[in-house]
Amino acid sequence: MTYQEFKEAVIGHAKEQGLADYELYYTESESTTVEIYKEEVKGYSTEGSMGICFRCILNDKAGYASTENLTEEEAQSLVLRAVENAGCIESEEKTFLHKAGDSYGVLPENKEEAPAGTELVEAALKLQKEMYQADPRVSDGTQSYVAYGKEKYALCNSNGLDLEDNVAYAQAQGFALVSQDGEMYDGSKDMRGSLKNFDLKDIAEKAVEDAVSTIGAGGVDSGKYTVVFGSRALATLLAAYSNIFSAEAVQKGMSLLKDKEGEKIASDIVTLVDDPMYKDSCVKRTFDGEGVAAYAKNVVEKGVLTTLLHNLKTAAKAGVRSTGNASKASYAATVGISPFTFYLQPVEGTKEDFFAETGEGIYITEVTGLHAGANPITGDFSLSSSGFMIEGGKKGRPVKSFTVSGNFFELLKKIEKVGADLEFLRGKWGAPSVLVRDMAIAGK
Amino acid sequence: MLSQELVKEALRRALSTGADYAEVFAEHTRSKNINIISAKVDKIGDSVISGVGIRIFKGTRCVSGSVSSLAPEAILNCADRVADAMDGSAQILDIVLRERLFGDIHPVKIVPASVENAGKIDYLREACIAARDYSDEIAQVSGSWLEVDHKIMIATSEGLLAQDRQIRTRISVTSIASKDGENQTGSTSPGARKGMELFDDHDPRELGRKASAQAVTMLHAGYINAGVMPVAIENGFGGVIFHEACGHSLEASCVALGQSQFAGKLGTTIANPKVTAIDDGTIPNGWGSINIDDEGTPAQRKVLIEKGVLKTYMIDKLNGRRMGMESTGSSRRQSYQYDPTSRMTNTYIAAGEDRDEDIISSIEYGLYAKQMGGGSVNPVTGQFNFAVNEGYIIRNGRICEPVRGASLIGKGSEVIQNIDMVGMNVERAQGMCGASSGSIPTDVGQPLIRVSSITVGGR
Repeated sequence: MTYQEFKEAVIGHAKEQGLADYELYYTESESTTVEIYKEEVKGYSTEGSMGICFRCILNDKAGYASTENLTEEEAQSLVLRAVENAGCIESEEKTFLHKAGDSYGVLPENKEEAPAGTELVEAALKLQKEMYQADPRVSDGTQSYVAYGKEKYALCNSNGLDLEDNVAYAQAQGFALVSQDGEMYDGSKDMRGSLKNFDLKDIAEKAVEDAVSTIGAGGVDSGKYTVVFGSRALATLLAAYSNIFSAEAVQKGMSLLKDKEGEKIASDIVTLVDDPMYKDSCVKRTFDGEGVAAYAKNVVEKGVLTTLLHNLKTAAKAGVRSTGNASKASYAATVGISPFTFYLQPVEGTKEDFFAETGEGIYITEVTGLHAGANPITGDFSLSSSGFMIEGGKKGRPVKSFTVSGNFFELLKKIEKVGADLEFLRGKWGAPSVLVRDMAIAGK
Repeated sequence: MLSQELVKEALRRALSTGADYAEVFAEHTRSKNINIISAKVDKIGDSVISGVGIRIFKGTRCVSGSVSSLAPEAILNCADRVADAMDGSAQILDIVLRERLFGDIHPVKIVPASVENAGKIDYLREACIAARDYSDEIAQVSGSWLEVDHKIMIATSEGLLAQDRQIRTRISVTSIASKDGENQTGSTSPGARKGMELFDDHDPRELGRKASAQAVTMLHAGYINAGVMPVAIENGFGGVIFHEACGHSLEASCVALGQSQFAGKLGTTIANPKVTAIDDGTIPNGWGSINIDDEGTPAQRKVLIEKGVLKTYMIDKLNGRRMGMESTGSSRRQSYQYDPTSRMTNTYIAAGEDRDEDIISSIEYGLYAKQMGGGSVNPVTGQFNFAVNEGYIIRNGRICEPVRGASLIGKGSEVIQNIDMVGMNVERAQGMCGASSGSIPTDVGQPLIRVSSITVGGR
C-alpha cells in the first residue's frame, strides 16, 4: 500500500470507531553514507525509512499507535491500539489537537540536486587523503564519512491541518587517528550543509589538529580553577540540560525552574535563543510535533527566564499559548517538548582574549559521559574532560583525565564572559566560548 | 516473515554484481511503553517496526541498504540498489537455503502483547505509591514499563536461514527527593528476556522503596572531595566499569581497524591476574541474551580475559574477515536500519576469592560506590568515565557517610591492572548500550571489587 492509500484506510477505520479527533504524523527519509578506511571504500549504505504515527483524542486523553507496515490489517490494528491506549490514560491534563489558522514560515527553496553516489565517494576519498597528508603521524584507523540525506515531516489532523516540511543536507566527518611512541590519539571534525561548499582540506586539517594537539597530554592538579569552556564543550552541556526549560519537566516537578519565569536565572550576559529557522541550520522547520507554527524566541534574555518551552497541553495547563515546541523524538514517540536550534547568543571576544584575561586556568575543549555524569533533575554534573592549561595568559600544554564538576543552574549564574565565536554541535546546539571562574577540577 | 522464494531472489539480486557474500535481515518488532507519573498513567507508546536490511561483502568491503517495508517489490528494489554500488559480474550463482532451528534457551511464559494494559498499570502504580510513601521528602515518582517483541529472520548466501523471537520486558522506577530547592534522584530498573513473568521476580513495593531510599540518602549527602583514592565498587551495575573500561575496546569493530587500546594483545597479560571476564549470550533469560546473533551465528559463552590474559575478542563476520578470525556470535544491531557490528551481550567479571568484608576493611580512606550510574569510553585512548549514583566514604575500613557528585575517570588499560581484589558474589544488572549499530540491551556484572587507585571527580 502507498502512504496515501494507507492514510485513507486509517481514516476510514477511525470514523468507524466514532473518533472525531485524530491525527496522522508521517516521516520519511532517504540517505546514502560512504565510509572510507585506508583510502578505500569500506562501507557504502543506502537507507530508506518511513513510519506513521496515529494519535486519537478520546475524552481529552491521547492514544498513540505507530507502524511501518502499511497493510490493510495494520490500518485497522493501528486505530484499535490507539483507542485502547487512550482509554488507559489517567493524567488530568487535557490533550487536544491543534486547529488550522496559524501563519507558518516558508522554507527557503532547495534547488540543489542530490549528489550522486560517486560524488559522495569522491569527496570521502579526498577527505581521507587530505587527513593522511596533513601530518606524518596520521595512522591506519583514520576514517572519513560523507553522507547525504533527505527527510520529510508531514502532519494532518481531523481539524483540517495538513502540513509538510522537507529538509536535505550533506554531512562530512573526518575521524583522525595519530600515533606517537606507541600511544594513539584521536580527533574529529564534522560539517553539515551543501556538499559543494565543504572545504574538505580544512575539515581534514582540523580533524588531524584535534588529534595531534592532544599528543602527550598530561594530568591536572585538583583544585578550583578559572575555566574557559570551548564552544564544543559548552554546547555539549547545553544539549544535556535543555530539558530543564521544558514546561512538561517543570509541571511534573522534574526541573528546578518551577515558578522562575520572569526571574533572574543566569548572569546578565546570558541570552538563550531557540530558533526553528536559524539561518545556518540544515534542519529548518515551520511546525512542531502537534502542527503548531514554530517561531524564534529568547528563552533566557539578559539572564531572565522569559518563557518555558510549551506544547499545547502544558500551555493550556499554565494558561499561556503554546510556544510551538511540541516534539517527537521519532515519528513513533509520544509528544514531548524540545527546542529546535538552541544556542547561547554570541557577545564579543575570542577565546584568546579570555586566555589573556584568565592568566592561569584551564581551557576545556571537550566534556564526555553526559548521559551518566550530568543530571538534569538536580543540575549536578561531574564530567570527564580534556583540554589545555592556560599559562601566562596563553594556551599551554594539553591535559586530560580530569573532571569538571558543578551544578548547571549555578554555572548559568557564573558565566562571566561570552565570546563571539558561535559554533554548533550536531547542527542543533550552539555556544561560543565562555569564561567561568571558580570551577572544581579533579585530577591528580 | 518472508517466503523462502522471496529471500532467495533478494540474495540472488544482491549478489549479481560480484559480491562474495550476501545477507538479508528481516524484522518485525512490536513494542509498548507505559509511563506513569504521580501514580497516574501519563503516556503510552505503542509501535510496530518492520523492514529489511540487506548487506553484501566483497572481501572486506561492505555495501548495505535498508527499507521500511516487508513488501516483496520494496525488498527486491533494495537488493538491486545494494548491488548497484558494486560493479562486477555474479560470482555466486546458486543458493540453496537450508533452514536451521536453534533451540530456544530463553523460554517466555506469557507474551506481554497478549495481556491487557490494566495489569501492567496496576503493578507500576503499586511500585510508585510505595516509592511516594517512603518519605515526606519524595516529591515526585515516575515509573515505566517496557515490552519488546522482536522477531528476526536471517538468510545468507552461505545457505543459512534462521529465525528468532526475542521478547524482553523491563520495569523502571525513578524517585525525586527534594528539600530547600534541591533535588536528588534514585532509580531502579530491572529487566530480562522474559514475558509478564518478570513481575514474579520483583515485589513492586520493594522496587519503589529502593529507588526512594537512594534519592533520600543522596539528598542528605554532602559533596565528595575530589582526589585519587582506592574505590570499592559494588556488584550488579558496578560491572559497568568493565563494560566501558575494557569491553568496548575488545569489540572487533574497533580492534579490526587498529582503533583499540587492546589491538594485537591476544595471549598477553592486559589485566590484573585477579581478573577473569566473560561475555555470555547464553545465560537463560538474561537481558542481553540471544539464541542467535544478528548474522545468524549461535550465541556463545566466551572467556575474554582469563586471570589477566587476553583470550579472545568479540567478533562479527565482517570484521572477522579483516582479522582472519571466526565470528564469536557477537554481531548485533538495534534494528534493520542499522548495520550490525560486534557488540557485548551479558558481560561480567567472574567471581574471585576475596571476602566482601576484607575488601572494605582493606581501605583506610576511599570511596564505596554502592550504585553506579552509566558511563562512556573512547575505545581509542581508553579514557572512560562513570557516574556514582550512590556513594559512601570509607574511613578506617568502615563504610561511613554518603557522598554525592562523585564520578570515576581513568584509562581502561590501567584500571583493569588496578583491580586487585575480587569478591565472590557476582550479580548482573541491566543496561542499554549505545554504539554504531544502535542501542541494544546488555547486562553488566561483577562481584564487589577493589580498584587500588583511581581518580574520583567531585568538588
